[in-house]
Amino acid sequence: MASKAIFSTLRRSLTKPNRAVSRRHHLSTSSAATASEPYAGDEHAIVMKGVRISGRPLYLDMQSTTPLDPRVFDAMNASSIYDYGNPHSRTHLYGWEAENAVEVARIQVAKLIGASPKEIVFLSGATEANNTVVKGVMHFYKDKKRHVITTQTEHKCVLDSCRHLQQEGFEVTYLPVRTDGLVDLEMLREAIRPDTGLVSVMAVNNEIGVVQPMEEIGRICKEHKVPFHTDAAQAIGKIPVDVEKWNVSFMSMSGHKIYGPKGIGAMYVRRRPRVRLEPLMNGGGQERGLRSGTLATQQVVGFGVACELAMKEMEYDEKWIKRLQERLLNGVREKLDGVVVNGSLESRYAGNLNLSFAYVEGESLLMGLKEVAVSSGSACTSASLEPSYVLRALGVDEDMAHTSIRFGIGRFTTEEEIDKAVELTVKQVEKLREMSPLYEMVKEGIDIKNIQWSQH
Amino acid sequence: MVDKGQVISLCRFLLRAGRQYPDYNIREYAKRRTLDGFRMNKNLTDHSKVEDAYAEGKKQLEVVERVVKVYLAYPPKTKNIMELKLQ
Repeated sequence: MASKAIFSTLRRSLTKPNRAVSRRHHLSTSSAATASEPYAGDEHAIVMKGVRISGRPLYLDMQSTTPLDPRVFDAMNASSIYDYGNPHSRTHLYGWEAENAVEVARIQVAKLIGASPKEIVFLSGATEANNTVVKGVMHFYKDKKRHVITTQTEHKCVLDSCRHLQQEGFEVTYLPVRTDGLVDLEMLREAIRPDTGLVSVMAVNNEIGVVQPMEEIGRICKEHKVPFHTDAAQAIGKIPVDVEKWNVSFMSMSGHKIYGPKGIGAMYVRRRPRVRLEPLMNGGGQERGLRSGTLATQQVVGFGVACELAMKEMEYDEKWIKRLQERLLNGVREKLDGVVVNGSLESRYAGNLNLSFAYVEGESLLMGLKEVAVSSGSACTSASLEPSYVLRALGVDEDMAHTSIRFGIGRFTTEEEIDKAVELTVKQVEKLREMSPLYEMVKEGIDIKNIQWSQH
Repeated sequence: MVDKGQVISLCRFLLRAGRQYPDYNIREYAKRRTLDGFRMNKNLTDHSKVEDAYAEGKKQLEVVERVVKVYLAYPPKTKNIMELKLQ
């Protein structure tokens, strides 16, 4: 017994890695990037997927999803306990109470966008809403309308639905965008044909944060009498949205982008003038026949409360987020050069800041920023190694597109977090640039684009 | 009729309740939002508006006290980096 203990301690001491050795040679920039000094309280360290972080990272990824607001959580709890009836049951109190809760939520959502409650359809999220509108409208009018117009920077679900339509025989025009991310209105006007069935332009882009000129696009669509669909998942509760001013016929909304629950969304379908669409989910005819299926009452209630809160707090949040965005941008620009903001800085939602750092390798930058939860490219495209298609559509160079980072600021972000994020980013970028031979050449004044690389 | 003492004690109750949130971001937001909320309504003179604001504050206090109990029932297992840095 004792000899076993002796041998095991001996083995452990002999095979313990020498700390000094692990810091000396770093064969790649990425491993150098991840080596960092441990914090004093390292007992709390989290080890996951081969990465060791000393605590929960600061959350700066508000565009992919947002934390649940405690007031929304409170409303959902009460609803989960008591509103368990099926809102479509007409015969007993449980159904009536659940239906009341759903109708209250419907009014709250409708007020946020300036619509009537009868025009709101609840479904499982903005992706389902986008699919239903794009496919449903074109399938309904498939005899007369065979053309769809959308942009190159749309969300993946819209682009994928359009690709599905192309396979069915429809024609799709993907409008290019300018270098600041905005749609060219003249190109849109020229692209509209007599058989155009739908124009789909997202209000606020999830990757670069630019706000499209919605009123002008709505006016063009009204002139040519083409239904206008917008994916407003990132826009509601953040910029003022009005379906009358924008003249939209369809709008997709998502719950988990406005501090509400995941798994719920809504679709606005205009009633005057009436636009028709074929439902994607067939069944008992719930939600005006456009989306059959029992509604998840507590999710709907949570979404409604989140919308009401967003309407009340929009001005206050906007001031706070604008302040933090300026702090972030100025903080980074003060200490680093070669920082490019992707997308127009004027026509932009303040909470989304997409920065590219020149002369830095993207993967290493992200791996070194493990204490800040940010994303590069959207969650949908981060699995592949290609740079995001949105940045490619903006005309950003490949190397700059690879080093893009999207900082998402939200209602709950604090000034200290922004300062820490600035500090970590600057430190990481400086460390990587120091190791980069390209940066040395740039500092000496050599123009990288005109170098003749010799063949080996 | 709501008097100054009641308003100040409501603010203090809200701040005290908000301090108990285990989550760093929500805790900081609760503090900031309470103070800013009371500051924004500082110069209200219309009695009915003051009553409305006070009632709203009382409702929020109930919500915070309820929610904090649930949040504390599931304590977090890891600390946020911002909390570690402050040590």
